[in-house]
Formats: sequence, C-alpha cells, structure tokens
Amino acid sequence: MRAKFFTLIALIALTASVAMPHGDKKHVIGTLEKINADSIVVKTSDGKSVEVKLVASTIYVSHVGNEDKSAQLSNLTVGDRVVIHATPNGETLEANEIKFSSKSAQGAARPKR
Amino acid sequence: MSRSNVILAVVLVVAALAILAAASLLHNGLSSRATPTSFEAMLARNARHMAIPAQGRKQQNPVAASPDNLRDARLHFADHCAICHGNEGTGDTLIGKGLYPKPPDLRAAETQKLSDGELFWIIENGVRFTGMPAFGGNHGSQEDSWKLVRFIRHLPQLSNDERLEMERNNPKGPGDRTEENEEEDFLRGTPVQQKHESSHPH
Repeated sequence: MRAKFFTLIALIALTASVAMPHGDKKHVIGTLEKINADSIVVKTSDGKSVEVKLVASTIYVSHVGNEDKSAQLSNLTVGDRVVIHATPNGETLEANEIKFSSKSAQGAARPKR
Repeated sequence: MSRSNVILAVVLVVAALAILAAASLLHNGLSSRATPTSFEAMLARNARHMAIPAQGRKQQNPVAASPDNLRDARLHFADHCAICHGNEGTGDTLIGKGLYPKPPDLRAAETQKLSDGELFWIIENGVRFTGMPAFGGNHGSQEDSWKLVRFIRHLPQLSNDERLEMERNNPKGPGDRTEENEEEDFLRGTPVQQKHESSHPH
C-alpha cells in the first residue's frame, strides 16, 4: 500500500530529465576496398575511402538477383558492391547491416540485351 | 509520531517533489528526447504492473507456438509494431528513439520476465502516457495478440532469414522505396552517379 502511494505521488511529480542526443543512421554505398579484422573500408563513388567498424551485432546479407540471403563476413570479398547501414559512434561508424553483391552476381543480374 | 506530524511530512515531500518537477520543467521543457532516469523507469514499471489486473496476469496463452502461428505473428509485427519496436524488438528506430519513454528492448529480461498474460494485456490495452497504443477492441482479434505474445518470446532467437522476411513486409513510404530501389540497382551493378555516404533519419 505504501509502495503504491509512493509510486503514484512520484509519478505525478516526476518529469523529463537530461536530454540525450541520438545520431541518425548513415548509409555507406560503394565498392569494398579492404577487409580488416574488425573493420572494412569502402571506396565511394566520389573517391573517398570510408572505414566502417564491424561489431558482434553486424548482419551480413548477400544480394543475388532480386533476393536477399543471410550471409557471413567470410563471404565478403574485395571488389564487392556494398550498401551499409551504420550507426555513428563518436568518430567511427558501426555497421548494423552490410548488404553486398559479388562481382559475378552483378554480371549475372544485369538484364540481357 | 503524531498524526499532524505525518501530514506535515507528506506535505513537505510532495512540495519538494513539486519543486524538483518545476525545476526540471524549467530546465528541460517537455521534450521527449530525454531518456527516463532508472528511478523513473522503475516507477513506470511498478505503475504498469499495478494497472494490470491480477486475473489478466495469470492468463495462459491459448495459441500454440507452431511455425504457422509464429510466421503470422512475425508478419503482423513487421506491419504494425516494427515502426516503433524495430524488427528485432530493440526499439532502435526513428520513432522509437523519439518517444518518451522509449520502447523497451523486447528481447531483454525486463520484458521477457513478464507473464504471457501481462504481455497480452499490454498489447490489447496499451500503456497510458507512453507511445504504446491499445490494439484490442476493434483493431484486431485477440488471437492475433496471443500470437504476438508467442513472437515476443521468440524474438531473442530471431534468425537473419526471419528478419529479412520482415524487412520485406515493413510498411514503406515513397522515399524509402526510392532509396531501396536505388540501393538494389547499385547492388545489381547498374552504374550510378555519386553514390556515397549519406545520412538517413531511421
């Protein structure tokens, strides 16, 4: 009873506290330039090299034709086209999802003339 | 302690809390960008617990955890719930991050330790002063809510393929579709102009 009373009183009285900033997600699109132990480097079409950290929760998705399939880091190869959804963490970007297509798949997926 | 002293103590506590609340309001306004303190979260959990009738807490899930039921719930969740909770139930979405309080991580022990009846009650009745709406009544059948309870239990084991299926069933606006098509074109090998690093609010 006392706990209920205290909860109700405190609920009425309490309001907002310190505002916490939150960063937007970023998309990094380009060609895979380098694979390190805990990061990858992507060359974007404007010639910039962008490093993205790999974390335990990073999800790898292979895009073949019109289908997305679950994949692993070991399936990535230099030269793959990648679309990365990442979260900024200080100065670095942490990959939430890396969607990629291999060079051979890109050729196969192109419409024939 | 005399009765008048008790009343005086209660009045002083209420006055102190009111001053704290007013100071907080003046300092932070009513922005929902803030994150509730752990004390506030604890109070909210207690209040929610108190609001759920004991009868409701004890309710058993009448729906089996069959693959068909789980798939129904998964697609239902992707369509109705993921906009705030995210497909994985983390709450790490544009809308989820902007709510006060933020949606809880549905995979976390704090949610998973709720009974099936409590989860069902929350889905059906919503939670006041939060972004959680009531999905009961005319919005859907109780069976759907029980299936969602099964799915919430399954969330900690959500596979990558299940998540990808959910992504295909998430509601998307024209901007999302355009962006998705552009990304798909790029992955297919279509030459694109100036595809690089970009910010997206989700």
